[in-house]
Amino acid sequence: MSPPLLKLKYGARVRALAEALERDERETFETVLDDILQSHKPQVVSQLSDLTCNLQLALDRFRLDSRLSDLAEKDIPDARQRLAHVLKMTDEAAHKTLDLVEQSAQPADRTARSAVALGQTWSQFRTNRIGVGEFCTLLEQLDAFLPQVRQDAELIQRNLTEVLLTQGYQDLTGQIIRSVMMLVEELETILANLPQDLRHDSNAGFEPSEPGNTNGFGPAVPGICGGDVAAGQQDVDALLSGLGF
Amino acid sequence: MSKEMKFLVVDDFSTMRRIIKNLLNDLGYQNVAEADDGKNALPILQAGGIDFLITDWNMPGMAGLDLLKAVRADARLAKLPVLMLTAEAKREQIVEAAAAGVNGYVIKPFTAETLKEKLQKILGATA
Repeated sequence: MSPPLLKLKYGARVRALAEALERDERETFETVLDDILQSHKPQVVSQLSDLTCNLQLALDRFRLDSRLSDLAEKDIPDARQRLAHVLKMTDEAAHKTLDLVEQSAQPADRTARSAVALGQTWSQFRTNRIGVGEFCTLLEQLDAFLPQVRQDAELIQRNLTEVLLTQGYQDLTGQIIRSVMMLVEELETILANLPQDLRHDSNAGFEPSEPGNTNGFGPAVPGICGGDVAAGQQDVDALLSGLGF
Repeated sequence: MSKEMKFLVVDDFSTMRRIIKNLLNDLGYQNVAEADDGKNALPILQAGGIDFLITDWNMPGMAGLDLLKAVRADARLAKLPVLMLTAEAKREQIVEAAAAGVNGYVIKPFTAETLKEKLQKILGATA
């Protein structure tokens, strides 16, 4: 059986320390005591270093756990709601565009038909194959056609402008999708680093990206608390008016 | 207001730039330049010849608010009319843009009438 490790390491020195104490030899006592303390010092430093490292890992783990919990409880459900809003916006924009196209088809068709009818009489007039009665009909047709064309063209123009503005959905939904992509990227990074973090052999921390005020927050999404948000353009105008604009 | 004046439209979404450009054309303004963020807009502005800036807020590279601050900090551009056209609708942001010297603030989605009204108001005030 091998002798105990402590006895091997400290036995002789502790005996020398006890003898020096017995004989009241101060100098020997202090020399042996210093020797014991010196041999123990690296261990204390190493233990302190281990302790600090473990504490750092524990803090990293806590931050990771806390961020994962935030992601699961808040950010992921928010992202789902944001994507549902994107779906709703694209659906509404597509329907609005189709409605406007359908509303424009009728006046466009009416103009084309009237032009064809008018064209036949006009052609007869241009080839001098028209009677007085037909000429009077041509004038009546023209009297009805011109204001109708103007009215229809204005309606189509208004509808085209609305179609144009409706395409703004791509900007708004794009901003929302981009914010969800950033969230997915963050989640991907956390999940990819998770095995390392769980082995406690990595002290690489991570910083979740927080959108700043300077870069903007993106479009407001109904049902997601976005702070004190203006309800519409009138609200913005009232706020600016209060500021002297 | 002169129909010859030159606009710079800054937005990271090309669809939105096209929308604004078309609306400006409908209002009779044919002279419209484009940039996709503040960083690319600034050299265009500094080169001169732009009479009116319409900018988004939330853009990669340089955000609209930073562009506005850079414009106001440049003696040659300090008086340039700037309209912020953005989805950013927090009251604190609107106040911040006002403090930075914006001339008008329109939130998306917007109407052609709103854009026309704000342009006329700004041009009337700065004329």
